Amino acid sequence: MLNTFLSHQWKAFWRSRNRGGSIAAQVVLGFFLLYFLAVAITIGFGMAFLLPEIFKGQDIVKSFNGIILYYFAFDLLMRIQLQELPTLSIIPYLHLKISKNKIISFLNVKALFSMFNIWPILLFLPFIFIKISVLFGAFATLMYIVSIFSITLLLNYLVLYIKRKSISNVWYTGVGLVIISVFAALEYYKIISIMSGSDYVFRTIALHPYLGLIFTALAWCVFKINSGFLRRNLYVEELSSKQEKKVSTDYAFLNRFGKVGELAALELKLILRHKRSRSAVIMGFFLLFYGFLFYNKQRIASDSFGQMMFAAIFMTGINIITYGQFMFAWQSAHFDGILSNKINIRDFIKAKFLLFTLASTLITILASLYGFLSPKLLLLHAAAYLYNIGFGTVIVLYLATFNYKRIDISKAASFNYQGMGATQWLLMFPYALTPILLYLPFGLLKMPYWGLFAVSIFGIIMLLMRGFWVSFIAKKFEKQRYKIAEGFRE
Amino acid sequence: MILEVRNLKKVYGDKTVVNIGHLEIAQGETIGLVGNNGAGKTTFFRMLLDLIRPSEGAVLSKGNDVKEGDGWKDYTASFLDEGFLIDYLTPEEYFTFIGSLQEMSVADVGSYLAQYTEFFNNEILNSGKYIRDFSKGNQNKVGIAAALMQKPEILILDEPFANLDPTTQIRLKKLLKEQVGMTTFISSHDLNHVTDVCNRIILVEKGQVIKDFKTDENTLQELESYFSA
Repeated sequence: MLNTFLSHQWKAFWRSRNRGGSIAAQVVLGFFLLYFLAVAITIGFGMAFLLPEIFKGQDIVKSFNGIILYYFAFDLLMRIQLQELPTLSIIPYLHLKISKNKIISFLNVKALFSMFNIWPILLFLPFIFIKISVLFGAFATLMYIVSIFSITLLLNYLVLYIKRKSISNVWYTGVGLVIISVFAALEYYKIISIMSGSDYVFRTIALHPYLGLIFTALAWCVFKINSGFLRRNLYVEELSSKQEKKVSTDYAFLNRFGKVGELAALELKLILRHKRSRSAVIMGFFLLFYGFLFYNKQRIASDSFGQMMFAAIFMTGINIITYGQFMFAWQSAHFDGILSNKINIRDFIKAKFLLFTLASTLITILASLYGFLSPKLLLLHAAAYLYNIGFGTVIVLYLATFNYKRIDISKAASFNYQGMGATQWLLMFPYALTPILLYLPFGLLKMPYWGLFAVSIFGIIMLLMRGFWVSFIAKKFEKQRYKIAEGFRE
Repeated sequence: MILEVRNLKKVYGDKTVVNIGHLEIAQGETIGLVGNNGAGKTTFFRMLLDLIRPSEGAVLSKGNDVKEGDGWKDYTASFLDEGFLIDYLTPEEYFTFIGSLQEMSVADVGSYLAQYTEFFNNEILNSGKYIRDFSKGNQNKVGIAAALMQKPEILILDEPFANLDPTTQIRLKKLLKEQVGMTTFISSHDLNHVTDVCNRIILVEKGQVIKDFKTDENTLQELESYFSA
């Protein structure tokens, strides 16, 4: 029976009407998936070399043990936001002659098919085989692996349980991120060390391997609790995240923008009330950590802004990119309504500019925390910010007029390729290359600050030309609207 | 004459979905568009609302081509399908938004909605749900009420009776009959209702107007015999 269920799921996936269209798009997607897997494996195998680099002068096993709990804390937060409840898929089976237990075990197995369950294995197992097995022997190695698997399963079912109980909330994630950052800071200033804690836990397992079974026991408990909860509440209505009472809201701060503000408020509600758009925005906050990969001491010391430009553009403009790449399609479900109502196209376009500007401003303010690494980064961010709101918005909205693919925004964002087309991939080229090309001559002439100045001036000029760009895009939109509306109806 | 259709054609590939030579609609007429599935009713309505570009011809609203300007939106309201609803809003938010497009204040909208309590049957307002969480019938009600709220001169409804319960169907008929001076264009598969509400029936098949006549006591029979043939 389980096999039948899984084969149905397999068919559901491959026959899905909304699946990413052309073969070319799918090849590109496959490539990206492989790329991410390859990155994870590379990090996994490279850990033996990376850890001594990052934590200089520290025992390598201590570093390894130390990051495990950190990783899983972060993993937990990501899961709470992004992991999906495999619930709706059981509706067609509930009224058939299939025992509840079978349906529950199907739900449990299906929950395992998540990227979150693959990453820890790819990341940690290579190091365990390379180093731990040599240092601590076969039994300890086995229990290390058992522990990693157990924690993964523990989190997997814990998150499902939390989500089913509907005790998750966007704010919890925010608070969680702050807590992790605080611990990281305490770690940095050597006040409290989670790393030592994590190291202590896993060192104990290395010395007394059978203790790893504690994780297994915990995972088994959570699994049982989750299954029990499912058995008692096997009604679709109750399993999907609980419905809270919906209230009408009014965003007073947008009222001052008149009609434009009203349209912006409408779109803000769209973003906050749908899974896919919400996760796109939340991803933006997670990507604020991107800078740590790109900003290092040498680059900052040598003013190599060119190499850091991409990260800066990406972080401060992330909402413009992730939200803008599907522009207009967010509203595909009611696009006819927008066209047939008395909505001025210029206002419609202006509202999008307004939202982009607000979002980019907010995230730039958050990204200012990098100023603690070096105040120079604030200049870099300012240039990137001006470029994003000045010209990035224009690129995104112009390309949006070529996007005719409908998307269903109530579905989650992770690994949802519905609505992906060539536009999305093309977007990144002009978006990322323009500022880098602007900076490049100054960078080569060893005038990095003039380079930032050039990017900023470019952004400001484009910002001043916004009236022109609004008309330009509105005109294009007028021409394309039948095509867009037709595409969105399918 | 408030609406005029001139040589309107829509062709998909080698299939002509709509082909209407000439049609004139006078102010205050209530017109029922009937025809089987695939007759081109919805496509025709979409062209009236400038949602689809006609392959040929034009729709003139008060003498102006709807393709060329937005002026007609000031006095035209419509509800074709759920694609017209912004389904992540609560009904109150939706009505307020639609009202604001017609320069209606929140208070105006509130007092307007007050007269619809019967029509809404206490299921729409203050329900604590988004529009997307409603049944199809209730979504229909929201769409129709929002269209009527704009006090339009031209009202276009696609199958307004579908998905409604019997009581609401009767209430809707009453509502539509009450509107004086409004030009109404509705399509329906329910021959009883259209003949009851409309004073002019246009029968379409394969995109073409087959019959166009004023309703009288024989209309229902005539239509029934046409469709049973």
